[in-house]
Amino acid sequence: MNLPRLRVDPLTHKKLQRFRSIQRGYVSFLILATAVVLSLAAELLVNSRALVVRHEGRWHFPTYGRIHTGKEFGLDYAYEVNYRELGRKFAADPSGRNWVLLPPVPYNPLENCHPGETFRPRPPDWARQNFLGTDQINRDILARLVYGFRNALAFAAAFIVLTYAVGISLGCLMGYFGGWFDLLVQRLIEIWSNIPFLFVVIIVASIVPAGIGMNLGVLLAIVVLFSWTGMTYYMRSATYREKARDYVHAAQVLGASTARILFRHILPNVLSTIVTFIPFTIASSISALTALDFLGFGLPPPTPSWGELLRQGTSNLQSPWIVASAFSALVLVLVLVTFIGEAIREAFDPRKFTLYQ
Amino acid sequence: MRPSPRPFPLLAAALLLAAGCGPSAPKEGAAPATAAAAGAAEMEADLKRTLATEPDFYVFKPIAELPAGLAWQDGAALPDFADPNARKGGTFNYYIPDFPRTLRTIGPDATGGIRPYLLDYVEPPFIAPHPNVAGGAYAGLVASWAVGPDGQTIFYRIDPRARWSDGRPLTTEDVVFTLYFMRSPHLNEPWYNDYYKKNYRQLIVYDRLTFATVHPERKPDLAVRFGNWVPYPRHAYADFGPGWIERFQWRETPKLGAYELKAKDIDKGRAVTLSRVKDWWAADKRFFRGRYNPDRYRLEVIRDPDKAVEAFARGDLDLMPLGLPKYWYETLPETHPEVVAGRILRYKFYNRTPRPDWGLWINRAKAPLDNRDVRVGIQHASNIALVCAQFFRGDAEQMQTRSDGYGWRMHPTITARPFDPVAARAAFARAGYTTQGEDGILRNAAGQRLSFTITAYGQAQRDLLPVLKQEALKAGLEFKLEILDTTTGWKKMQEKNHEIALAALSRSVELYPRYWEMYHGTNAYADAYTKDGQPSKAATGAEANPKPSQVVVQTNNMTMTFLPELDRLIEAYDRAETLDEIKRLAAAIEQLIHDDAAWVNGWQRPFLRGGAWRHVRWPEGFNVAQARDLEEFFVHWIDPDLQKETAEARRNGRQFPGGLRTFDQFKQQ
Repeated sequence: MNLPRLRVDPLTHKKLQRFRSIQRGYVSFLILATAVVLSLAAELLVNSRALVVRHEGRWHFPTYGRIHTGKEFGLDYAYEVNYRELGRKFAADPSGRNWVLLPPVPYNPLENCHPGETFRPRPPDWARQNFLGTDQINRDILARLVYGFRNALAFAAAFIVLTYAVGISLGCLMGYFGGWFDLLVQRLIEIWSNIPFLFVVIIVASIVPAGIGMNLGVLLAIVVLFSWTGMTYYMRSATYREKARDYVHAAQVLGASTARILFRHILPNVLSTIVTFIPFTIASSISALTALDFLGFGLPPPTPSWGELLRQGTSNLQSPWIVASAFSALVLVLVLVTFIGEAIREAFDPRKFTLYQ
Repeated sequence: MRPSPRPFPLLAAALLLAAGCGPSAPKEGAAPATAAAAGAAEMEADLKRTLATEPDFYVFKPIAELPAGLAWQDGAALPDFADPNARKGGTFNYYIPDFPRTLRTIGPDATGGIRPYLLDYVEPPFIAPHPNVAGGAYAGLVASWAVGPDGQTIFYRIDPRARWSDGRPLTTEDVVFTLYFMRSPHLNEPWYNDYYKKNYRQLIVYDRLTFATVHPERKPDLAVRFGNWVPYPRHAYADFGPGWIERFQWRETPKLGAYELKAKDIDKGRAVTLSRVKDWWAADKRFFRGRYNPDRYRLEVIRDPDKAVEAFARGDLDLMPLGLPKYWYETLPETHPEVVAGRILRYKFYNRTPRPDWGLWINRAKAPLDNRDVRVGIQHASNIALVCAQFFRGDAEQMQTRSDGYGWRMHPTITARPFDPVAARAAFARAGYTTQGEDGILRNAAGQRLSFTITAYGQAQRDLLPVLKQEALKAGLEFKLEILDTTTGWKKMQEKNHEIALAALSRSVELYPRYWEMYHGTNAYADAYTKDGQPSKAATGAEANPKPSQVVVQTNNMTMTFLPELDRLIEAYDRAETLDEIKRLAAAIEQLIHDDAAWVNGWQRPFLRGGAWRHVRWPEGFNVAQARDLEEFFVHWIDPDLQKETAEARRNGRQFPGGLRTFDQFKQQ
């Protein structure tokens, strides 16, 4: 099958070259990409489960898969083994036959890092490997940041796919058909987008769970429901412009279906518009999720999330490490994304050599 | 503790009433003055009609028919609880978490943060329970009262000094109006309607100051139980009727208590200031002496409790409850400079009052929670002890029975089932959950996971529930958490749609607890009993937990308990006439509730604690036994000399003896 549009054509290549040459954006991109890749392997870096356990001549790799109970390693309980304790126990055995290799941060984002001690925020403690301290119920902040980051990214990715799917389809249809359809949908969008987003989300989020239960999917659906409108305008005008071009007429004459014309012919030509928006959409979706979590209308506890950490931080200002960690992480990611966005916009700007600045 | 005491959920009350109080009253027309005048005539006409149509309820007799030989009492033999030497004057600064949505004390939106200052803490009832003597009472609006020889009638002699804040005397006219008001369909308060219809059988008016109320049952604490109510002024409610809710939304009405809120003292959205009634009629009355001392009581609206604590530490507020460990140990610890300097004093006061029944309410109607072994397992898998010791930092303790905090233990020996993963797993195994899945959660032969959703309302439990969740994993049990906003969460529980609810009902101060609302089968199923009073068909089977079909919503039976044996006990308990009988039945009821294991014993805090600037003074012994918060009985006062001294000390850094002051005279062993 011929997939010409997926090959990097010289023009796109040039754009990518231009993107690479914009230092700030490119470096930001590299940093963020590394963070994303690392977060995908978070279980290997930040986890209460050991990477490797050597026990009585057998190897165990507990990171992924089923839980191992304490009984399997000769302890007296039937629930998941505490690998940190197991490691200490093995280390105390002078024969050295048994050992445990733990990840650099040996805590998961849900557990109490200081069992047997009072629940209160604890400052960073490198000896105990709480590199950013703990939150008010003794959970490791770094672990919650890392897993929260991953949740936010998953949210952002799904958010982009869904809003763009709706926004692009509808925008293209509006631009392509024009006439009464365009007018009608435009008015609908005007009404819809005038509903204050955050309030509606809060109201809906407080009503929904009674039946379904709040989770990432429901939250996503709610946010998407009120966020797809922005994209339609750009797609509408872009399609409107492209529609008048000869290649569209040619496709029409050849008898191509509407869907084919829209998605195979017009869409690739307006892709640059979309691409420049993506980073900003990521930023806005992370902010939206964080804001909702901060207000307590987001993901159900104990899901790790940045908004929840910020909320804890602001209500525990005497423990500044909580709010500092969450705030710095949020600012860092948003700044990186914005830098990338700026660079992409500049790189994809067709008026690169315009006389007007 | 007005006769409002439906056990309200702690936070839900205000929102619940706001949301669920039936159709709103019709809107007023364009000419309110005319409408009010028309309404006035209408109210009197309707009142007359009501008196005529209910001659068995509103009875008027000549004073000569007042039974002779009644044992009139006024509680004068009981000890004082306020300090008669308290100094009057000054402005007391405190906060409320929300700006009042109405000045009414009844009807939609009336249960907000302002209500205690307009009604509960301030307005004296006819007969008031003595806060330091269990079962004791003192004369509030009455000069004296008597319980009739039938044990069902309370006779009241209104204190002839009693005056509304507009100068008019309190008379039986107001009493007649109050019962008419409370029973009126226009009130828009089904709960009050029901309460005053069910518990007040008859009103007998003898003269302007003497009347009696007749109640359906003999009770050992009849006078406090039913004499503890507050009248409303007939002359100020002349236009009561349809639409009164809107008309009275912001209307000043005369008060009998020490404080009134004047329109000029309402700073919209920011603060309200109560002012002490000039020449208050009860200022020198026994048990009111030395109370309600500040001249002005300024309540600033501070929505965020964190900010309120900061405002207190800065000196903007005079008093601050510091119940949460976070505030006590982190925000205002012993090492806080103002505490070290002795300018803020920290108090810990052991009170003796029924505790809100925090706990996990297991919905027995949802399989497999109908299995007792599963419920016992859940009790053993819920690490409340850890929550008490490490989340509440040892400040809270697990409740042993449902009804801790009354003057005596409702059951002498019951203790809560302790956290014990092994016992929990054994119980779950009895219920068929024997294999542990790859995720560490137990499964039964059909492959069903042992997983339940805990529904909670409000944000307070957001940090606590993850602790329970993590601990339950040790028993192979999964808790999913669902934290809803207050109205939605409470609604879900009242409609019995939860699996497990983390909730509490607040308790009014009473001599003995109520069980009917929470445990009687008719509050679980409409068809619990057949017409002839027999347990419905399913109940007669061998099954321990009969399950008829029609769920009753909007009741406090949130465990969906229907045990015919328990119902019989509760009915006997509600009919019991002596304290010994009540105690005996309560113990039997507590035993059944314990055996049934549908409520995981939560936590209670046996004390109040807070901080106050050193110019806020208290009687010796600090507060009263039944105080549910630091201000409830208004025994504190401001010492202007100390206030000046403290203000100077803050400038020149002078220190005073500080430290924690603990008062444990009411501590229960």
